[in-house]
Amino acid sequence: MRSNRAGAMGLVGLFMLAAMLLFTLLGPALIPYDPAERSGSPLAAPGNGHLLGTNDIGQDILAELATGARVSLTIGLVGALASMLIGVAIGVLAGYRGGWADTLLMRLVDVSLTLPFLPLMIVIGVFLGPSMSTQILVIAILMWAKVARELRSQILSVRTRGPVQAARAMGAGDLYILRRHILPMTVPLMIPQFIQAVTASILMESSLSFLGLGDPLAKSWGSILFYANARSAFLTDAWIWWVVPPGLCIVWTVLGCSFVGYWLEERVSPRLQSYTALGKITPKKTAGRPASAARTGGESAALRIDGLSVRYPKAGGEAVAALRDIDLAVHPAEIVGIVGESGSGKTTMASAIMQMLKPPAARTGSIRLGGDELTALSDRELRAARGRRIALIPQAAMNALNPVWTVRKQLTEAIRCHRKLSRADTQARIEQLLGQVGIEPRYLAAYPHELSGGMRQRVVIAMALVNEPSFVIADEPTTGLDVLVQVEIIALLKKLQQELGLSMIFISHDLPVVKRIADRIVILDRGSVVDEGTPGHLSVHSGHPYTRKLMDAIPSIGGRQMRQEVQL
Amino acid sequence: MNNIMRSEPANPAAANGSSALLAVSGLSKSYASFGAGSAAKQVLRNVGFRIDPQETVGIVGLSGAGKSTIGRIIAGLERADGGEIVYGGTSIGRLRGAARRRATLGIEMIFQDPYESLSARMRIGEIVAEPLVIRQTRRGDRAGLDRAVRSALAKVSLDPDRYASRYPHELSGGERQRVGLARAFVAEPRLVIADEPTSMLDSSLRLELLELMDRLRRDSGTATLFITHDLALTYRFCDRLLVLNEGEIVESGTPAQVIDHPTHPFTIRLIQALREFHG
Repeated sequence: MRSNRAGAMGLVGLFMLAAMLLFTLLGPALIPYDPAERSGSPLAAPGNGHLLGTNDIGQDILAELATGARVSLTIGLVGALASMLIGVAIGVLAGYRGGWADTLLMRLVDVSLTLPFLPLMIVIGVFLGPSMSTQILVIAILMWAKVARELRSQILSVRTRGPVQAARAMGAGDLYILRRHILPMTVPLMIPQFIQAVTASILMESSLSFLGLGDPLAKSWGSILFYANARSAFLTDAWIWWVVPPGLCIVWTVLGCSFVGYWLEERVSPRLQSYTALGKITPKKTAGRPASAARTGGESAALRIDGLSVRYPKAGGEAVAALRDIDLAVHPAEIVGIVGESGSGKTTMASAIMQMLKPPAARTGSIRLGGDELTALSDRELRAARGRRIALIPQAAMNALNPVWTVRKQLTEAIRCHRKLSRADTQARIEQLLGQVGIEPRYLAAYPHELSGGMRQRVVIAMALVNEPSFVIADEPTTGLDVLVQVEIIALLKKLQQELGLSMIFISHDLPVVKRIADRIVILDRGSVVDEGTPGHLSVHSGHPYTRKLMDAIPSIGGRQMRQEVQL
Repeated sequence: MNNIMRSEPANPAAANGSSALLAVSGLSKSYASFGAGSAAKQVLRNVGFRIDPQETVGIVGLSGAGKSTIGRIIAGLERADGGEIVYGGTSIGRLRGAARRRATLGIEMIFQDPYESLSARMRIGEIVAEPLVIRQTRRGDRAGLDRAVRSALAKVSLDPDRYASRYPHELSGGERQRVGLARAFVAEPRLVIADEPTSMLDSSLRLELLELMDRLRRDSGTATLFITHDLALTYRFCDRLLVLNEGEIVESGTPAQVIDHPTHPFTIRLIQALREFHG
């Protein structure tokens, strides 16, 4: 939606600029009057051979506008170009060199950004005397700083990127890296900046000329306004055809530039495309598998999933299936491991169960928690169920914790979401939890960044368990942790599951870890369950090629086969 | 802690350093640390080891142990605070610019992240050609450059006709990392630094890629520094193994030695943890 509108704006802007350019190029040839010559009676109203009337000398205003456009646009473009060149040079120097050059140049940028714009413009203009080069210089001096600052921050962010590092490791010199990697990555981002600079310098040119600091011999839109003002156009009706048209020319051009700039900005900084414009998928009823059929399975399962499919709409009307027709039952106090590689749909499954799928996703099928259909719950009922009956241990512990809250605050908030406990009860519950997950009470005052990865994961587990859910989904709880910590976290989850009688879904890409903890493993491949069984059964007996492939990919240490390899 | 080190003299130059392809000694590095009262964090302490021609040496350690820093210092992406790095007889630790480029000819690096380490704006063919272009080994020899790129792509089982003109975003993670391999091996390197080359890949692709890397290095007689957190992988792919703990090499030897008879308490803990998962 957003980018469509930006595209339309871009088109309108391009049309406006093209029209102005045509007028500038062809105008002088088509208009039969010389703007410098007296061609009619003074202050003639529009019509009568002079489409926009004449000024006080009797010069044709339309002809003035056409020649003035040349000066205005030229100064606008050249001024913008000059400020871009200075800005890019300084931005590159500061961003790429870093160190003292960066400190020095950035202070300079800070200073020039705080300079009062209009007075400075007048001072420089008066000091250097009115001329076209003065205008360009003033524009360049006033506008380079913004460009330099923007480019520097862009360069800082790409300087440590992979391709740059790779080239540097190959021994590439600074020039090569700048030319081949850094500038191609950053300069496209400067195009909207350039358009903005053009806009600003056209406005600035007009202001300077209006103040009488333009070239007195070259007519520009600004100087037409200057003369109109100086020669009392406002005392008569003449302002309507003498002042308004050059004003409109400026507005027209600036608006055109802004539209194009807005569109380009959208283009070079692509955001995630919104799916809303792509049309919704009408959820189909799962044929032949009415939701009530699930009931025949009995309510013995802690969680029962029937015919769960999740699809994401894609451009062109096709849908991508993230999950296809999943059936799964988790029994009370059972740990079911879900193993899959990237793109297999395992995290989609966690989101679907928690009813946390993002809007474009279309879900069909039934998810029942202890007999209650989760998909039928209202938002309010869902909020009540989440955390209290079914909890999620999310991926990436660092992101799951609020960086400015202490451990105590994180846990207190988690409790408060669901129940009102007295201060003492809250405190008691938190201490009990910390004991369960093996964190010493002295860490209650610690912030997340002060904890190790393993401790953070323990805090996240404590948060999930704070309201005594009976069902827990652990989404990659050991990913990114060192093997020593993985062992601890697995042991902890296993212990908690036994002590609290939890039912659990344990999602991971790491088959060895899942084998260690799960009672039953479900293998997910491209959205479908392809294999299922106990860890022992799958390791030894599974005939499914994908399962075999995953099993074979586990490097064994000290296995006979491997030892022979090493002996070679 | 150092007293448990086996077979790895603190000063490799003294012991047979002359035949080594790469000899690192006394390497130390610390990062400035922010926050009240925190001292600079020492990431490497007196690290010394050597790599012989055609040898594969693995460095294993937990995250934050300093493994990647060692690789990045050798590749010239970071500077050590102290210590010496001798490559092919030349001390390269303090060289800069063109002198460094000449002295480090034959060192290539494979990066961890196949999504981030390839330029999104370059075609696969250009990416693979980059080491040759930077090193100017085939200056003015357009046909020779093309031939080298095509052959490097073919060696990693990417059909040059199909892949050379594509962009990285059109490739899967596994394919991209193979492009990374082609880029590392295109210039006939003598030493490849592989920094966790498979940790971002799905496990089913991992062994496949490592086997490919193993084949490439055997075929071209390249020595490898294989940096990994996964001790289990070193069993199969390394001639020698260094265990790094908190910036110090605490144990070294053949993978079989280290894994079957660890002596340092850290290594013992690491291997116990590993056996939990890999039985």
